[in-house]
Amino acid sequence: MSTSHDKDDMSRRSFLAGGTGLFTSMWVAAQWPGIAAAAHHADDAASSPTPVGFNYFSPADAADVEAICTQIVPSGATPGAREAHAIYFMDHTLATYFAAAAPDYSKGLGDFQAQFRTAHPQTASFAAADSESQIAFLKTVDRTPFFETTRMLTILGMFTSPKYSGNYQGAGWKLMGFVDQHAFTPPFGYYDREYTGFVPYSGGKA
Amino acid sequence: MTTKTFKPGEMVDFVVVGSGAAGGVMARELSQAGLSVLVFGQGPRLGAADFEHDEFKYFFLSGITVSPAISPQTFRKTPDAVATRSPGMQPALYARLVGGSSNHYTANFWRFHEIDFIEHSVLGGIPGTAFADWPITYQELEPYYTKVEWEVGVSGLADASPFDPPRSKPYPMPPLPVKSSGVLLERGARKLGLHPFPAPMAIASQPYRGRPACVNCGFCMGFGCEARAKSSSLYTSIPEAEATGMCEVRSESYVYHVDTNAKGRTTGVHYFDGAKRSHFQPARAVVLSANGAETSRLLLNSTSNRFPQGLANSSGMVGKHLMFNQGASVHAVFEHELNEYKSVQVTRILHDFYLSDPKRGFYGGGGIDARMNPQPAIWAMSQGGDLPRWGADFKARLEAFPRSMVSAGHSTSLPLESNSVSIDPTLKDAWGIPAIRVTYKDHPDDLKFARFLQDRSVEIMQAAGAQKIWRDSVEENTAGVHLLGTCRMGNDPKSSVVDKYHRTHDVPNLFICDGSSFVTSGRGQPTMTIQALAFRAAEHIGRFAKANEI
Repeated sequence: MSTSHDKDDMSRRSFLAGGTGLFTSMWVAAQWPGIAAAAHHADDAASSPTPVGFNYFSPADAADVEAICTQIVPSGATPGAREAHAIYFMDHTLATYFAAAAPDYSKGLGDFQAQFRTAHPQTASFAAADSESQIAFLKTVDRTPFFETTRMLTILGMFTSPKYSGNYQGAGWKLMGFVDQHAFTPPFGYYDREYTGFVPYSGGKA
Repeated sequence: MTTKTFKPGEMVDFVVVGSGAAGGVMARELSQAGLSVLVFGQGPRLGAADFEHDEFKYFFLSGITVSPAISPQTFRKTPDAVATRSPGMQPALYARLVGGSSNHYTANFWRFHEIDFIEHSVLGGIPGTAFADWPITYQELEPYYTKVEWEVGVSGLADASPFDPPRSKPYPMPPLPVKSSGVLLERGARKLGLHPFPAPMAIASQPYRGRPACVNCGFCMGFGCEARAKSSSLYTSIPEAEATGMCEVRSESYVYHVDTNAKGRTTGVHYFDGAKRSHFQPARAVVLSANGAETSRLLLNSTSNRFPQGLANSSGMVGKHLMFNQGASVHAVFEHELNEYKSVQVTRILHDFYLSDPKRGFYGGGGIDARMNPQPAIWAMSQGGDLPRWGADFKARLEAFPRSMVSAGHSTSLPLESNSVSIDPTLKDAWGIPAIRVTYKDHPDDLKFARFLQDRSVEIMQAAGAQKIWRDSVEENTAGVHLLGTCRMGNDPKSSVVDKYHRTHDVPNLFICDGSSFVTSGRGQPTMTIQALAFRAAEHIGRFAKANEI
């Protein structure tokens, strides 16, 4: 009989450490247990440019989670998690595809908030803390399953298709320098531009 | 084009279970030989317009792959452990749609070398393994490799590698345009005295047999091709089989039991249609090409009074010797932009370390390729070495995406009887059919060689001038997309499942041809060899059918 903690730990392992060797690059076990329940969820939800509310998070929880996301990929001269609407991706997917894993996530969030209150009894919430305090606190919890999951969801919310309510106007892709286009022509990059052709090996085959 | 539709219950010459790399070729060859063929595919039939640039869907929501929601599997490392259900990516991962995993493969299409078929004789046995020679040689398979290159469509440069095995014909298409990753791998490797060469890819570099050339969109590995340039069965062998008027491809039709009669011959298959209604399809003969996991499951689930331990399993070898291949990647960041998200996965490879060298103290051989980064989200999740995981430094790391590439090693897995596909004692799928249980633990030599190859990748990237390099961890496999060895070929019915013509030793009109037929793992990139085997097997099976020997 697995406990909630076991499951949480298993989910963390399954998407963080799962793939190995040949598959680590791409076929990492980058999926989440919630998918098992939600894999066939129809996705058309997407992408009101300015989402007006949350389906899964309470406003206070959304504020805390968005504050964490914003520390994972900060705002600045280029867009961060906030500008990419990562929180809306998280809200959308925790209400749909990842619904089965949502209770564990909520519990993790509750534990996070309680720990923060204990450490900072004078501050109303993590979201209300100043950036330095947020960073200092996150350094104490950044190996927990809850943080790892939030990191994963932030990344998914920034860098996957905008149709899932994150990556607003391709902000994440712009940050990363990825162009989603259906055709390209060579040269593709700096190093292939000057390539003069394959030179056969003298003596031919070994 | 009007394709054939068989009447319910109409007898056919062949039922082919599976429509992927092997099943497609089998259907094409048998139907072109004038035999009636009914192909069954578990999943839906999609077309180019159905495929999307959607990393989340394809890598996180089981977009076209076997889904934990309806086709769950379990995993354990060793036979004495209790297997647990795999929550996300399934341990035996394959694409579940017409065309099978040939839809989402990377399309690396190097041939196996002569040594792969005779390595046991050359090196001797390896204690604790089922290391063995194949019952066929490279020379016997060579004409069929050539057939794959021309009939299916492979781009490449013949004899560019000093290590290439002999070939009877050049490639039908030139290599795809080189990418910056290829240029850098070539630069680094040549400095070290190695021999990189243009990668053979099953992707059209120019219009080929009614299909367009690749448009360099960058969504190959894990995705279905939106341009029809990837030489997937969906775009090649399957429509060519249907064009004969002798072949029907029945999608969303899930074969769950192979029927046999009192004489020990197969009479056909039981399958579920899309509405989960069960039907029986009679056939003169059955060919299983359902992949190295599903073929074994189907046999093990097809028990009867005569075959209590599963069909074609008098040897007890069905499902045994599962091999995933090993390998290890290195990430490298350079000064200028590579923009690896454009175009195909791989444009340069090298085979300098293909041979196992006893002087290393462990068995193993492999190839290295230069390849694009994973798609953006998975690349961002990468956590190797001292990489920053969050904060301003993490953000800066993300901005290096266009300047990054991967050097990936691909290597051997030894055949171990304890690594297997078996039937989970309790878990059933959405149709109530007992599920796949994967048992897998790499041989220590497989891990040692993967690390050896990773060290070579590091050296090559350093020689190419990388500014930063990090390694993916080399760990025991807990999942695989190369599903090999589980119904191995052999001359001895006591230690193998099929003979050299892919006929099962136990059931004279039951044939198996897919990754399960492999005796050893090669050095990765098995689909080329799966298809060469399928062309060869189909020629013999068609001959048997015409001679009334099925």
